Order: sequence, then C-alpha cells, then structure tokens
Amino acid sequence: MARITLNSVGKRYPNGFAALEDLSLAIADKEFLVLLGPSGCGKSTTLNLIAGLEDVTAGSLYFDDVLMNVVPAHRRDVAMVFQSYALYPHKSVYENIAFGLRMRGHPRAEIESRVKDAARRLEIEPLLERRPHQLSGGQRQRVALGRALVRQPAAFLMDEPLSNLDAALRIAMRAEIKQLHHTMRTTFVYVTHDQAEALTLADRIVVMREGVIQQIGSPEEIYDRPRNTFVASFLGNPPINYLEGALAGDGAGMRFERGALRLALPPALAQPLRGQAGRPVRLGLRAEDVDERRAPRAGETLQGRVFSVMPVGSDQYLGLESEGTQLFFRVGRDVRHREGDNVALSVNTNRVQVFDPSSGASLLWQ
Amino acid sequence: MRNLGRNILLFAASAVFLVYVLAPVAWLVSSSVQQESEITSRPPQWIPRQPTLENFRAIFEAEEKQVTYETRRQGDPATGGFIPSTARDLVPAMWNSLIVAVAVVVLNLLVGVPAAYAMAKIRFIGRSSSIYFMLSTRVIPDIALVVPFFLFIHKLGLLDHLGSLIITYLAITIPFTVFILVSYFESLPDELDKAARVDGCSRLQTLLRVYVPLATPSLVAVVLFTFLTSWNEFLLALMFTQTPASQTMPIVVAAFTSDFTISFSFINAAGVIAVIPPVVLAVVFERYIVSGLTAGAVKG
Repeated sequence: MARITLNSVGKRYPNGFAALEDLSLAIADKEFLVLLGPSGCGKSTTLNLIAGLEDVTAGSLYFDDVLMNVVPAHRRDVAMVFQSYALYPHKSVYENIAFGLRMRGHPRAEIESRVKDAARRLEIEPLLERRPHQLSGGQRQRVALGRALVRQPAAFLMDEPLSNLDAALRIAMRAEIKQLHHTMRTTFVYVTHDQAEALTLADRIVVMREGVIQQIGSPEEIYDRPRNTFVASFLGNPPINYLEGALAGDGAGMRFERGALRLALPPALAQPLRGQAGRPVRLGLRAEDVDERRAPRAGETLQGRVFSVMPVGSDQYLGLESEGTQLFFRVGRDVRHREGDNVALSVNTNRVQVFDPSSGASLLWQ
Repeated sequence: MRNLGRNILLFAASAVFLVYVLAPVAWLVSSSVQQESEITSRPPQWIPRQPTLENFRAIFEAEEKQVTYETRRQGDPATGGFIPSTARDLVPAMWNSLIVAVAVVVLNLLVGVPAAYAMAKIRFIGRSSSIYFMLSTRVIPDIALVVPFFLFIHKLGLLDHLGSLIITYLAITIPFTVFILVSYFESLPDELDKAARVDGCSRLQTLLRVYVPLATPSLVAVVLFTFLTSWNEFLLALMFTQTPASQTMPIVVAAFTSDFTISFSFINAAGVIAVIPPVVLAVVFERYIVSGLTAGAVKG
C-alpha cells in the first residue's frame, strides 16, 4: 500500500559514473509499473534505490509522504525478486520463505501458516523441506516469489525475474505474476529489457535510456505514440522501419515524399505538421502496418525487392529492399513470395510515425 | 592395459612423494620413544628395539632444580641423563603457545570477517586500494619488521608479555585472513546480500546469518592458517620474550639445543608434543570443510 515518488533523483558512483540523473517518477498505489530499457539504462539502479540497496546521491525518494532517502533497506517494507533468485543455499525452502518474517519478529505460528499459505498458492508445498540446489529453475523462481509474497509488503520489486527461465515457462509465469498483482493489490515495480513482458504486464511502462526517462505511458501509448525513435525502435517485433524523406503539402493536406513514394497523411496526423512542407523527416513504419492489397493510386505503394523470407510459424517476416533501404515487414503466412520477387505493399498511413531525422524526436506526439 | 600402466606409475609416484614427506615425521615419532643410545647408533633404527616413554615422562616431571656441569648426568638411561636445564619450562610454554594461538585465531575472526565482508560487498571510496594496501604489507619480510616492532612493543611496555606476541601475530595474519575471506565473499553473489537486506537483515545480521554460514570452508582455512602461523612462529617470539613467563614452545624447544649437552630423544619427544595440537585441530575441522555448500544459490 504505497505510492512511491522519486523527485529529481540522481545516482552517482564513487568513481564518478552517473547511473541516473534527475529522474522524476510518481508510482501510484497498487500500480503495476514496468521499467523498460536496454542493459545499462539505469532501470535496475532505480529499483535498487527504491529498495534501499543503494544510496540516493541526489534528489528525494518518498514512500507515500515519508522521505526514505536514508532509511536502510531492512526498514523499508518492500520485497524483491531477483533475476538470479538469490535463494539462501544453506536454508531449506521453508526457511527461505520464512526468513523475512522471522527477521521481522512475527510469531512462529503465524509464520508457519503464512509460509504454508504462500507455498499452496505457488504449488510448491511438496518442496518445503528441500534445499535450493535440489530444485529446477522454475521451482527456484517460485520459491523466490514465495519469499517475497509471504511478506505482504507495501511494494513488490522485481528485477528481471523471468529472464533465466525458458520461453514456455516464461509465458506461464508472466500470467501468474499478473494474477499475483490482481490478488495482492499492492504496488509492483518490475524491471525488464523484454518488450513483450512489459507490454503484457504493465499498467504503465517507463522507457529508459542511459539514466534518462524517454517516455512514460500505458502500453498502448508507448507503442502507438512513441515520443522518439528510441522508444519506437525498442518496441515491436521485427523493429519499426525508418524511411528518410521530406514533408510536402499545401493547405489541404500533408504528404510524405520519398522518390516515387507519395504517402498522403490522414488529417489527424497532418494537423501537427501543418506548415512544415519541405522539412526533411524520418517516417516510422511498423512491421505489421503494410498490406498486400494495392493502394488505389500510384505512388501510394511501397515498391521493393524481396531479399529474405523468414517464416515464423503463425506468420512470416519479409525482408524488403526499397531504394537502398532494408525494411522488414510481418505478413500473413499465406502470402507467397520468394527472394528476388518485386512486390508492392500499401501502407496503413493511419499508423505511421513522423520523426525529426537529426534529434529523433517525434513530430506528432509531445 | 594402458590405464593399468598409468595407474601403477601414479601409485609409485605418490608412494615416493608420501615417503619423502612423511619420513621426517616418522623419524620424529620413532625417535621420541627411543633411548638416547639407540638414536645415536649407526645405522639408525626406524623401529625402536626397546620403546620407552621415559622422554615424555621427563617432560612432565622435570624437576625444578639448578643443573650444573657437575649435576647434569642424572643417570637416566632413556635420556642419557641429559635432561636440559630448561626442561620444566616446556609445559608452561605450551600453555603460552596455546593462549597466544587461540587469541590470535579469535581476534582474527572478529576483525577479519567484518572487514572482508565490507571490502567484498560494500562500495566505498578506497575499497580496492585498501585491499592492496593490506596485502602489500605482507611483501615485507618479517625480519625487516623486527626492529620497528621491537620499538613499538617496548613503548607499549609489553616486552616479555604474551600481548606482544598477540599484537604482532595479528599484524602478520590479518592481511591473509582478509584476503582469503574477501575472495570467498566476492565469489558469493551480490544478490544474496541484497535479498537478505530486503528480507530485513541489517548489514551485521546479513553477515552473521547468511555469509558466515556459507563461508564455513574458508573460515576453517583461516582458523587453521592463523593457528599454525602463531603456533610455529619463532623469530618474533625470540625477540620479544625473555623469560618462561612469555616464552612459547618453539623458543623453549630451540633452547634445548643450547644446553651443556644435547638430548635428542628428549627434544624429539618435545617435538611430538608440539605437533599434537595442530594435528588435533586439523582432524576436528576436517569434517567442516564441505565443498559445494553454495550450489544452488543462483542459477548454476
């Protein structure tokens, strides 16, 4: 039960490296917030600061309205799940789960019932007497979850908890974590570099890069209205394609032009671009936003030569070379193309993105 | 067949090595129950013809009396009568050795364990340089430190006092203790430390409840190393101790050779007794040197 507020928080290490600079973030009570970014972007550091495992070197950190900057980790009511699980190897599963309660001085009977309860919930009851080295990866993951949820903490922190699991188990655990959030009704802060995890789990996603927040928003916002090319590139599979070109247009509407390609932008997108005809821009085109059906007018189709076909089961990835640029699209598996074919694809112009080519900032959403 | 040949070769090599290592010890034990005349006979007897415990009895029953050139022959057939004049210092010296060694072991753990944990798991300015600095003090040979140590001990008024040995042995052993434990703690995942603190442990509780139980093998190594170092130390003890009040076993045993005459059987019996405590310690702790205790902490 906690709001977590970071006000201009900074983290600078003794060697001078600044992991975070001026980070401000308000995490609502009972929210599922995902910190997303490549390794080294400061997402784990942010989590460690919230947990109290590292010291805040600038700014302030609040739980509800209490300043937490100098409160040591063991006095903050948070639980944490680690990528490596970090189970105590010399303790049994039962003792691992009970340890946090024991350290906080709960009575023995209560500890026992809460551990049993957590074990039942995670279906690890038969494992309680085992040692961590006798468990599989998935079982260790459950014990690590159990160790956190048995505490019923004010905030639940997770640092890439699923990245050591194999793909099938990861999907199942994702669903369980989501379920856990529903039943526990507490604040979750979840760190990952996996966009799919972020999109499926989050109420809100925070995209980070080199210690700076790039964008905060719901999964839909982040995916549909990226603020810059970094955010746009980080989500989507295969990644978003970029076409360098220029804006053109008159009073009636705006177009994106590149060689023979002329894409009329729908009014909603043209609105913020009005009056900027002639400006060079970078058009973002998501892999799924093309269609085999021919566009009604010439110039509105993307022409190219297939250089790669990659079936991925449900659909296939098409590598297309268009005027010297390599593009990747996702098309249905019934589409039959072979390498070397010339194809024309129509573009769903309602979903294109427009960026400034030098800064990478979106010209549509700010 | 090739395997058999290889095994025979390996066996032979280990047998040779074993004989090489154990022969002096065997001779020590064997000669300690021989009579003086047998020890000095040629060729030497590996198996005593008339084993005797007289040498050991002489250690524990050495009388308090002035031995002079005239009274040195006491007609004892086992020792040839050459019981050293300082024989009665041996048992008190054993106690001194034991007190010093135990104090050094305990203080090493008290200082070394928290220091190693801090250096391994807490980031602070000067962390790695402090590790190197501690280790670099061990590059200096002990003999070079004797004079500074002596002046220091003299200023403290600890000459001929067990405290002088405890202080100087700590200076010698703690860098090694910290070094051994730092490398072990560093090999334990940082996440264990984080998990314990999130679970409600203070730094000290994290150390005592998570790291110390996991570090048993290296703690045993540290205990053995520090105990043996201070049990066997000779040079500093020779400098700082003058009377039986503070002399340790190596000093007293060495002094046996500087008497009027030398009784090898008596010295060897003293040597056997000196070996017993370290051997007992090694046997007791051997059970605790369990490997693989950390398996399963993280994905392995």
